[in-house]
Amino acid sequence: MSGARALAERLRAADASGLNATLHWSEELLLAEEARVAALKGAGARLPLEGMPVALKDNIVTTDAPTTCASRILEGFRSPYDATVVTRLRSAGALIAAKANLDEFAMGSSTEHSAFGRVLHPTHPDRVPGGSSGGSAALVAAGVVPAALGSETGGSVRQPASFCGIVGVKPTYGRVSRFGLVAFGSSLDCVSVFGRTVADAARVLSVIAGPDANDATTVDRPVDPVGAVPGSLSGLRIGLPAEYFPADLDPGVRAGVDRAAAALRALGAELVPVSLPHTGYAVPTYYVLAPAEAASNLARYDGARYDARRIGPAGDLPALYRATRGAGFGAEVRRRILVGTYVLSAGYYNAYYRKAQQVRNLIAADFTRAFAPGGVDLLLTPTTPSPAFRAGEKTEDPVAMYLADIFVSAVSLAGLPAMSLPVGLSEGLPVGAQLVAPAFGEARMLEVAGAVEAALGAAREVR
Amino acid sequence: MKIGREEVLHVARLAELDVPAADVEGLVAQIGRIVEYVAQLDQVPAGEQAEPFQGGPERVALREDVPGSVPLVRGPESFAPEFRDGLFLVPRLGSMEGE
Repeated sequence: MSGARALAERLRAADASGLNATLHWSEELLLAEEARVAALKGAGARLPLEGMPVALKDNIVTTDAPTTCASRILEGFRSPYDATVVTRLRSAGALIAAKANLDEFAMGSSTEHSAFGRVLHPTHPDRVPGGSSGGSAALVAAGVVPAALGSETGGSVRQPASFCGIVGVKPTYGRVSRFGLVAFGSSLDCVSVFGRTVADAARVLSVIAGPDANDATTVDRPVDPVGAVPGSLSGLRIGLPAEYFPADLDPGVRAGVDRAAAALRALGAELVPVSLPHTGYAVPTYYVLAPAEAASNLARYDGARYDARRIGPAGDLPALYRATRGAGFGAEVRRRILVGTYVLSAGYYNAYYRKAQQVRNLIAADFTRAFAPGGVDLLLTPTTPSPAFRAGEKTEDPVAMYLADIFVSAVSLAGLPAMSLPVGLSEGLPVGAQLVAPAFGEARMLEVAGAVEAALGAAREVR
Repeated sequence: MKIGREEVLHVARLAELDVPAADVEGLVAQIGRIVEYVAQLDQVPAGEQAEPFQGGPERVALREDVPGSVPLVRGPESFAPEFRDGLFLVPRLGSMEGE
């Protein structure tokens, strides 16, 4: 059986299981992808991802399939161009496998806010897979694809990677092109990678990274190759920030991170306590800045330019805008647009938006101090405060949902690279540890993660 | 600051967003809770002179804002509700006058 047909069987089985991780795929497209890769190979192209199926979060545009962002307001939309990351994956020989479900416009931490239904956790269907890139994470964790692209604005790859027991890597802001990633929070958005293993994630990241003339915020800087898994980490200093280990941290999560720390020590790394004093302000800062940027970015969905259109009762242009947007956006997106509009409105801008930008600077400065000469090379923290929570548990309290991102949002605000690595199971649920690196330190971070992965071996209970 | 029904409806108008009447009370409570939560930023000692964050790593140098020539495989007529002679068609401005 061809690779494309085998992949189609896995996708069919995943859909039949009720996982609800895909929004679009077809066997016809998979066979076309396979033929395209064969033609590239026949022409002698170098194909570092030859035949590797990669799923895409459905906020990454492709010309040959719809891009919905899991929103009714974009239902049926087909992009007139491909995202840069898609072009690069295809040139490297990858097969674009499927468009994956997500929280609408990437706004959520549980993939319960999709207009097309929630995504199930791949091993515990009563739980959430995390979000917003929950469909991509579930497809990798369920063994349908070895890798997938998601996007991060405030932890939307690391958090679901932790919940699903896979690897999730967020690169430095500017390392990977955002051209063709539907904008949510433009100063925060990063295309990011899921992999079953550190090596798979590293392979995909090495292909999609690098400058792009179509994204002025990409950095013209060589992509460091990821070296072999080091046998010793002697000389490496790893910081354990006190603020990431609160007294009420889930004991299973704590045990998992302790296991990773022990592995690092056994490999020769030195673990030292550090402090990132503004960590506690990261979530409120994020929930001012990200909704403000979202309110601006999502103004373009107005009933004039994309398929969805509702003519309001007055039949004029303002009624068109209000009716289309009111009917097209789901509850969480509406809530964030309203919060974003509020914090940007006259009389509140300085109190909320400008203040949050100042605090963002303080949060970034915490990391700069930790990574300064004489400081640490990497940070080790839990990725999430608990394993995957139950579906519906936090949907009525938005702040409780936002706090699921408490250990991942500071890194996003600072624009740094970070990753989640599976470190064990707590009562059967995966838990992840987070490594954080200085800007453009992805290669070293991935090498160290590879060493921890090799040392820990197969997943096991840690409590 | 406490958020009330009028504030939520005012912000919805600014955002060009119809809010179903049945959802207003829930939004008042949820947005009030969010605004109350983010107001803790007041406690951070960052005076008026503190520098706001500049997005992106230091090495980011913005290029000239010159429109590129990205090849499109289909035109806007393929996804716009109404498109004619190079223009997106919308209803009359009507009641916008005077707003």
